[in-house]
Amino acid sequence: MHPEQAQISDSSLLKAVAAGDEAALALLYDRYRLILFGLLTRILNSRAEAEDVLQELFLQVWRRACDFDDRRGRPFTWLVTLARSRAIDRLRLLASRDRLVVSAAQDIRETTSDAVTDTLHAEQMEIVNRALAKLTEEQREVLLLAYLDGMTQSEIAAKLNAPLGTVKTRMRSGMIKLRELLGESLKFRSSHSG
Amino acid sequence: MNSTAHSEYREMLASYALTALDARELRAVAAHLESCTDCRAELVQWQETAGLLAFAAQPVEPSPEVRSHILQEVNRAGAKERRMDQAGPKVTAMRPARKTVLQAWPSWQALAASLAFLALCLTLLIQWRENSRNRQELARLSNQIQHTNRQISYDRELIAILSLPGSRRAQLSGTDVAPGARATIAYDPTGRAILLATGLPPAATGKAYQLWFIVGKQPLPGKLFKPLASGEAFLNDQVPAAAFDAAVFAVTLEPESGVRVPTGELYLSSAG
Repeated sequence: MHPEQAQISDSSLLKAVAAGDEAALALLYDRYRLILFGLLTRILNSRAEAEDVLQELFLQVWRRACDFDDRRGRPFTWLVTLARSRAIDRLRLLASRDRLVVSAAQDIRETTSDAVTDTLHAEQMEIVNRALAKLTEEQREVLLLAYLDGMTQSEIAAKLNAPLGTVKTRMRSGMIKLRELLGESLKFRSSHSG
Repeated sequence: MNSTAHSEYREMLASYALTALDARELRAVAAHLESCTDCRAELVQWQETAGLLAFAAQPVEPSPEVRSHILQEVNRAGAKERRMDQAGPKVTAMRPARKTVLQAWPSWQALAASLAFLALCLTLLIQWRENSRNRQELARLSNQIQHTNRQISYDRELIAILSLPGSRRAQLSGTDVAPGARATIAYDPTGRAILLATGLPPAATGKAYQLWFIVGKQPLPGKLFKPLASGEAFLNDQVPAAAFDAAVFAVTLEPESGVRVPTGELYLSSAG
C-alpha cells in the first residue's frame, strides 16, 4: 500500500465509493480484508462460506455506501457490523438447514496470516486483546459468545448452565469495563474523520 | 416518560449493541429507541465498543479471487447502480413522505404510460375484433394490461401503506445466486405488508419463493409466491407481531407447498 493511500480516511473512502469510485472500494477492501475475513471465518467456521459473505458484503458496501451517515458511528464499525450481521444470518440459515460446516477449522489455521501487515491494525488488535484480558473470564466468555457466536442471553445461559440474570450482569459489566478500557484511544466523536 | 422504565432500557443498550437481547426485550428496546434520542446517541457508543470485538478474532487472508470477483461485479453493476441510486431515495428513514415516495417510484411515469397504452389498446381492440388471426395478439396485450394494472394497484397500495405514520420499509438485496434481484417490503402499523420484488429468476416447477420474517434466531414463515416472467413479484402478506420492530426479511426458494423452516437457497435478504 502506498503511504499516501494510508492517509486517506475511511470516511473519505466511503464517500468516494458512494460516488462510484471503484478504486476507493478496492482500497477499502485492501485495508480491512484481514480483519473482516478473520471475523467471518471465526463466526462461520468455514472458509468457503466466509468468502461468499465477504464478497456479498463488499457488493453491499458498493450499493449502500451512500447510506452511511458519519454522525452515527465510524466507518469501521459500520463495516464490521454489516459483516457480522450477514455472517450470523448465514449461520442461522445453515443451521436451520442442518448443514453446519465444521471441518474447515484446520484449513483456517494453515492459512492464518502470521502478521497483520498494517501496523495500525496490529496496534488496535493488541489494545483490544489486552483490554479483553483485563475482564474476568466469565465476562469475556459471555461477550465473545454473544459477539462471535451470535448467541442471545438465553442461549448463553443455557450453554453455560448459568442463570439468565447472571449472564445479563456479566454482559453488562463486561461491556462497561471494555468501554472504559478502550475509551480514550478509540472513542468515537461525531467529528471524527478516521 | 416513565424514568424507571427509561433507565431499564438504558441498561439494555450494551446487550442490544451485541444483538444479544432475547426477542421480547429486543422489540421493547427497538421501540424505545424510535422515540429516545438520548438512548440512540448512547447506543452509538455501545456499538463502537461492540465493533471493536472484531479484533478478538484472528485476522485471516481471503483468497485473491474474492477481491477480483468483487471488482468484476462492481464494474458490471457500477454504471447501472449509479443511475438507480441517483433516481431513488435513501433507504434508512422510515418517515412517511409522500413527496419522496412520488419521486422514488418511477411507476408514476408507468402509470401515465399505461393509461396512454390502455387508450391505444381500446382503439386496437375495436379494429381487431373481427380478425381471429389477431386473437392471440389480443391475449398477449391483455396480459400486459393486467400486469400493468396489477403493478399500478400494488404501487397504490404501497403508497397507501407508506403514508401512514408508523409505517416501515425495508430493502432486500439479492444474494450471489441472484445478484440482480431486489425487493422492498413495506408494512403499516397493523402489519399489513406488501412486497415488491424485481430481478427474480423463475421458480422451477414444483418450487416457489417463500418470504421469511427472522426474529432473533427464529425464522417465521410468510407467504409463498412465484414471480412473473418479467422477474417481478408482488405479494400481500401480514408481518407477525413479533417481527414488527426488528426483523430480517428474507426470501428463499422452497417446495411450492411451503415449509416451516427455511430449507432452500437464500435469494433475497434485508440483513445488514
